[in-house]
Amino acid sequence: MAIFGNLNHMSLGDLLPLLSVQDGALEIFNLEQHPRVTLYFTGGLLQCLYVGGRVAEPLQARSIVSRLVAARRGSFEFAPGARMRRCPQPLGWPLDQLLLATVTVQDEIQGLERSLPHPDTIFALTSERAPEDARLSDFWQRAAALLRRGASARELARRLGMPLEHARYYLLKLRQLELLAPVRARGGQERRASAAARLLGSLRRRFFGDRQAWNH
Amino acid sequence: MEPLKVVVSGPVGAGKSTLIRTLSETEIVDTDARASEAIGKDLTTVAMDYGTLRLDDQLLYLFGTPGQERFDFMWDVLTEGALGLVLLVRGDRPQDFPQARRQLDYLLSQQPVPYVVGVTRQDRPPVWGPDEVALYLGQPPERVVGLNATEPASAVRPLVRLLELML
Repeated sequence: MAIFGNLNHMSLGDLLPLLSVQDGALEIFNLEQHPRVTLYFTGGLLQCLYVGGRVAEPLQARSIVSRLVAARRGSFEFAPGARMRRCPQPLGWPLDQLLLATVTVQDEIQGLERSLPHPDTIFALTSERAPEDARLSDFWQRAAALLRRGASARELARRLGMPLEHARYYLLKLRQLELLAPVRARGGQERRASAAARLLGSLRRRFFGDRQAWNH
Repeated sequence: MEPLKVVVSGPVGAGKSTLIRTLSETEIVDTDARASEAIGKDLTTVAMDYGTLRLDDQLLYLFGTPGQERFDFMWDVLTEGALGLVLLVRGDRPQDFPQARRQLDYLLSQQPVPYVVGVTRQDRPPVWGPDEVALYLGQPPERVVGLNATEPASAVRPLVRLLELML
């Protein structure tokens, strides 16, 4: 099993939340006019960044991360458990803060088109913590009341007088920071539970006979 | 007894039609048309796939939704009142994961439907495993199962898991 792909299809911003719960090395290669980059993660922190085989100092590392967040050409592969080579000055950067890259909203929207949520998906706040990034906190201040009860990008765009794509973008960013999540519609559980109980045994007998293969 | 329906959804090429064809007892009814854009195959579902499965005295309808987002109005039509939803995504096509997440989030926020995610092509490495896809989608691991949609005993696993989670 593996975590791999292309930045054209899955941006670094989408990828980082997966790595916040895993230790190892993320290799990024085939970048446009840029040497191979290796990022080492432990305990939800970016500890070290190598570019072209050399350790990047913090200022250089920040600049490279910003570039990678915006990159749409390049391949990635995660090596779980891979250990850092020499790293004289560990960065210790929390992954959620890495997402606050220094690119404009509009530039980023174009690159994130595939990741933006559906305009009618309803989101609600999961935390009352305001984001630190100024652009996101402005949106959060205006949208928090609506998002406490649940709101879609389409409703937010209409109520706050902003382009629909911007509302979708801000919802994606707040989600990546784990400040909100999609809401699940509710109802009809009891009727379905009784139907499930009837069907489950029959389905197992049909496809597995007496074997316990459905457990594997 | 009134028939029940299970909806199979997911991006283009996830294996929806294949899974229904594998599980259905009857010849499946499809609404394939020539693809009007580059989606990696010549024919694609534009309205729905339909198959049936009889379990004792209960008839189960299997409906497959179109994968292309321009037919997203069919997602709601087919999912309303469903017993459950199986969202499929190809484990060897991480480029499809954002669309799968968008589709799952949308459907679950609109319809109160039990669901599981099926990660297809587990027989063709390199492939993302169900636990890794669960992390990406922000789903509990028990909601995501790996399968090979061409093998009946494997294709039925999302249905079994769906029913187990509904108890």
